[in-house]
Amino acid sequence: MKAIFTTFNEAHYDAILAILEKTNIKGFTNWEQVRGRGSINGEPHYGSHAWPTMNSSILIFAPDADVADLRKRLLDLDSQFPALGLRVFTWTVDE
Amino acid sequence: MSLYSSAVKNPISTALIFVAIAILGIFAFTKLPIDLYPHIESNSIMVMTSYAGASASDIESNVTKPIENTLNSVSYLKHITSQSKENISVVTCEFKYGRDIDVATNDIRDKLEMVKSSLPDAAGNPVIFKFSSDDIPIIILSVTADESMPGLYKLLDDKVVNTLARTPGVGSVSIMGVPKREIKVYCDPYKLDAYNIPIESIASIIGTENLNMPAGSIDIGSNNYSLRVQKEFGSAQEIENIVVGSYGGRTVYLRDVAKVIDGMEERSQESYINGKKGGMIIIQKQTGANSVEIARQVEKMLPQIENTLPSDVKLGEIVNTSDNIVRTIGSLKETIFITLVLVMLVVFVFLGRWRATLIIVTTIPVSLLASMAYLFATGNTLNIISMSSLSIAIGMVVDDAIVVLENVTTHIERGSSPKQAAVDASNEFALSVVASTLRVLAVFLPLTMISGLSGIMFRQLGWMVSIIMVVSLLCALALTPMMCSQMLRLKNKKTKMHEVLFTPIDKGLNALNRGYAKLLNWAVHHRRQVVFIATGIFVGVLGICGPFMKSEFFPQQDNARISVKVELPVGTRQEITRDFALKLQQRFAKLEPEIEKSSVSEGTADSDNLFASLQSNGSNIINFNIRLCSVEKRKRGLTELSDILRNELALYPQIRKSQVIAGGQQGGMGGQQGVEIDIYGYDFDATDAAAQEVVKQFKSFKGVQQVLISRDAYTPEYRVNLDREKVAINGLNTATVSQYLRNRINGATASEFREEGDEYDIRVRYAPEFRQSIEDIENITVYNSQGKGIKIRELGKVEEAMTPPTIERKDRQRFISVTAALPKGMASSDLLNGIQQKLNKVHFPSGISWQVGGTYEDQKDMYSDLFTLLLLIVLLVFIVMAAQFESLTYPFVIMMAIPFAFVGVVIGLVLSGTPMSVMAMIGVIMLIGIVVKNGIVLVDYTNLQRERGMGITQAVVTAGHSRLRPVLMTTLTTVLGMIPLAIGTGEGSEMWRGMGLTVAWGLSVSTVITLVLVPTVYAIFAGNGIKHQRKKDKKRIKALEIATAAVTVSEKSLKIKI
Repeated sequence: MKAIFTTFNEAHYDAILAILEKTNIKGFTNWEQVRGRGSINGEPHYGSHAWPTMNSSILIFAPDADVADLRKRLLDLDSQFPALGLRVFTWTVDE
Repeated sequence: MSLYSSAVKNPISTALIFVAIAILGIFAFTKLPIDLYPHIESNSIMVMTSYAGASASDIESNVTKPIENTLNSVSYLKHITSQSKENISVVTCEFKYGRDIDVATNDIRDKLEMVKSSLPDAAGNPVIFKFSSDDIPIIILSVTADESMPGLYKLLDDKVVNTLARTPGVGSVSIMGVPKREIKVYCDPYKLDAYNIPIESIASIIGTENLNMPAGSIDIGSNNYSLRVQKEFGSAQEIENIVVGSYGGRTVYLRDVAKVIDGMEERSQESYINGKKGGMIIIQKQTGANSVEIARQVEKMLPQIENTLPSDVKLGEIVNTSDNIVRTIGSLKETIFITLVLVMLVVFVFLGRWRATLIIVTTIPVSLLASMAYLFATGNTLNIISMSSLSIAIGMVVDDAIVVLENVTTHIERGSSPKQAAVDASNEFALSVVASTLRVLAVFLPLTMISGLSGIMFRQLGWMVSIIMVVSLLCALALTPMMCSQMLRLKNKKTKMHEVLFTPIDKGLNALNRGYAKLLNWAVHHRRQVVFIATGIFVGVLGICGPFMKSEFFPQQDNARISVKVELPVGTRQEITRDFALKLQQRFAKLEPEIEKSSVSEGTADSDNLFASLQSNGSNIINFNIRLCSVEKRKRGLTELSDILRNELALYPQIRKSQVIAGGQQGGMGGQQGVEIDIYGYDFDATDAAAQEVVKQFKSFKGVQQVLISRDAYTPEYRVNLDREKVAINGLNTATVSQYLRNRINGATASEFREEGDEYDIRVRYAPEFRQSIEDIENITVYNSQGKGIKIRELGKVEEAMTPPTIERKDRQRFISVTAALPKGMASSDLLNGIQQKLNKVHFPSGISWQVGGTYEDQKDMYSDLFTLLLLIVLLVFIVMAAQFESLTYPFVIMMAIPFAFVGVVIGLVLSGTPMSVMAMIGVIMLIGIVVKNGIVLVDYTNLQRERGMGITQAVVTAGHSRLRPVLMTTLTTVLGMIPLAIGTGEGSEMWRGMGLTVAWGLSVSTVITLVLVPTVYAIFAGNGIKHQRKKDKKRIKALEIATAAVTVSEKSLKIKI
């Protein structure tokens, strides 16, 4: 069992839900409107006057076998719209 | 859930809600009546009191003064003026605009109850009379006829007047200039004397003979019959055969002493239309009815009516006030349409995408139509004010939508789906869009709260623009995001056509952008110079152009109408007046081929024709009503044509007084502009002399031709001066003698001759040849109670005398007004300032004072109202901006644009030679809200760049570089929206030209200057702020160092102690 944490520009939300649907992953937790800044070329998402955009994050728990596909799809999405920003982190967890 | 996200999620409901708003608006638009101005209720009430036999000064002291003193305490009274002339006193109370006239009438009625007891016993009851603009005729028809002339009155009365009067909304229809039929009984005084029959007994015999009387009913056998005496005259000849008395045992018939003529009344008004004899039909509307609607109905009925008339009777229009209204509103509609197209083009050129353009442009009709629903719901009309509001708003409603759309595009380009982008983008800019709408509301909502005339005029403008702006905000936050989510696409394929069309535009704009960035870079490095140059421009322009600024109240509107009043010496016979009138009519037609129809009337009006008798009339007075061809068809303007007529009239020495009124009405909105000087003083001779002096001063101005004094000169008349003793000795009294005189000269109405349901007066009097000289009057026989005839000459003398003029008072002081009409090319401020300077140098005798009168006071009130409003609006706009930026410095920096808007206004008005008018002033007020917009965009974006970590100079330049396009776009939409107003030449365009000019010039000049000045001043303030902060920091550091040092010292000392 792996935990996948993805944080992204809120515009990606619908697309990510679609990916979860496609990969048949059911368990996740979502936080809307979170603030943050990426470590690589990260444009801040503060919801402020200067940086008005906001992020969303999703914590997904999935069997090890499904993780690679999910990661690939998410990273594809990111490369499709580099200006929005999306990061994925995974780690092993006990059920 | 926020407005925009629910709008994006429910596109169908959102679209349909806005469609519903639009449909409601279209429905309202088709139902809205048209008018020239918002409804202005009359603010004057007249009180008329008759006091038979009293002279002007008796009336003044016994009737006018007590009434004035009592009415003076009525609340909201602005002025009280009065006219005291022989037999009648007229007191006019003028109230402040906006006062409910019904309440005022009640107040006056209450006060009059109090004063009644102190009026002379013989004085009649004071009558209250409200005269409003509704009483001005809306249509005057001309009637020409050849063979039908003798029976024309009856024909018109039956076929035209009755039919037209049935039209809903028509108040009264009266015939002017067509003589009425009258049965004239012309007596020979010598024969009457010989038979010893007075006119009175002839009149009473005619009255008693002309009778139908029911006598009851009788039963004969089984039937019941009614019994009648039916002896009404069947024809005029029948009258000749009645028995009027007997003399020496022989019967005297009427034909023995008099002629009976079935003809036209003797003294009547005559009219000539384009030199042809005819008449006029005057149509007045009911209070509150819509003139355009009535005119439309009347026009529809005219051909039908004409079919029922004999073929030689022709009807035409001389005056149709609705023509001007329809054409004015029409040209305004055209202007709005052009504005709409221009704004669409600007949006298309700047955005370069038709989908985006469509999204933006949709907000225009939706918001504008919503305001139509407001007009309809509040019972207002489509008029100059409400239509100009639309024109003003078009350029502004798109702004919010553009801001939202631009941001949605940015989001889509970054990779968001259109739906998500629409929500996120709207979310980011919702606050600033609301703030910018609030700022516009800060300008226009206060307009709805002002009182007085300006309140009546501009309340609608305030409400309209406010409503339009609020609806446009709703559009920007619901309709625009929804349409963006549905219509915008990420991959926008550019067609070849698009490239050909937009590459040069793009290149041009980019070059402009680079140039601007360079300029800005220079400016922020030369801050002092920039401020110095800007101040120089401000002071220089105001210093050089300021003195050339002119001002006026409302521009004179060219409504293609001129009215002329010519007075010949009192006592001129009607025939001579008629010949002169016709000669003038010909001359006018020759001088001005622009004249389409000119109608002239002269003569004494029938007393039962209310409209005609309210106008000045008499055998020596000529009234012209001239209709010119429409503005587009002629080169010469109304003022110029009026000046030509004035010059022509000045050539005739026999004219005692003449007045040419351009536009047919004086003062007020759109009427002829002039300057009025009121001279106060009790003494007639002294005030007359002062008035002459003022006339002389007025005439010393070049071009001033028509100067009128309100007080008439003494007019000659004949008076029968009866010797009371002789009258008494002969067993008579003054009342009887005057009655006898009247019956012989004016005639006694004996009875009515009835024919086909109509009644005609039977008037008994002396034949005309027996009332032509003083001797004829002296020879009139008066009979006393013993039946003895006495000649007037035995009772007194007939003398020639002079009647003193009407005594006019204003605010309970005697006064005369001297009015000069403005010639072409002169603004009212030119003449007003000039005459004030000249009159200040003139030494008037003590007890005489003068004041500027007329519409000047209204003008002053309105300008002071608007100035107060201007200050209030500046403050409100400041507050809104301060709240938006949470700073007091930035709003101040942004407001730097306002003085330069004034610079633009001054340049625009002076260059185009347009005087500052109330409409232009409204333009200036609007500018305050509009010009700060560019500053806000610049400052906001500069702040953003600084928050993102840039230095001041870099932030300023970057912000300028990236915001130039939106600034230019929003400015261009507003300026281009105003240009059709500013350069319009259609009918009525004089009214809104000033407003268009001020906004277009003010905004253009201020934009050019603020684009450089605001960033520079921003840099200065921000720089100072940083310096200040650094100083503060240094101080704090120093204080900290000192404190640390002190702590160290004390620690050391502590250690030493230990």
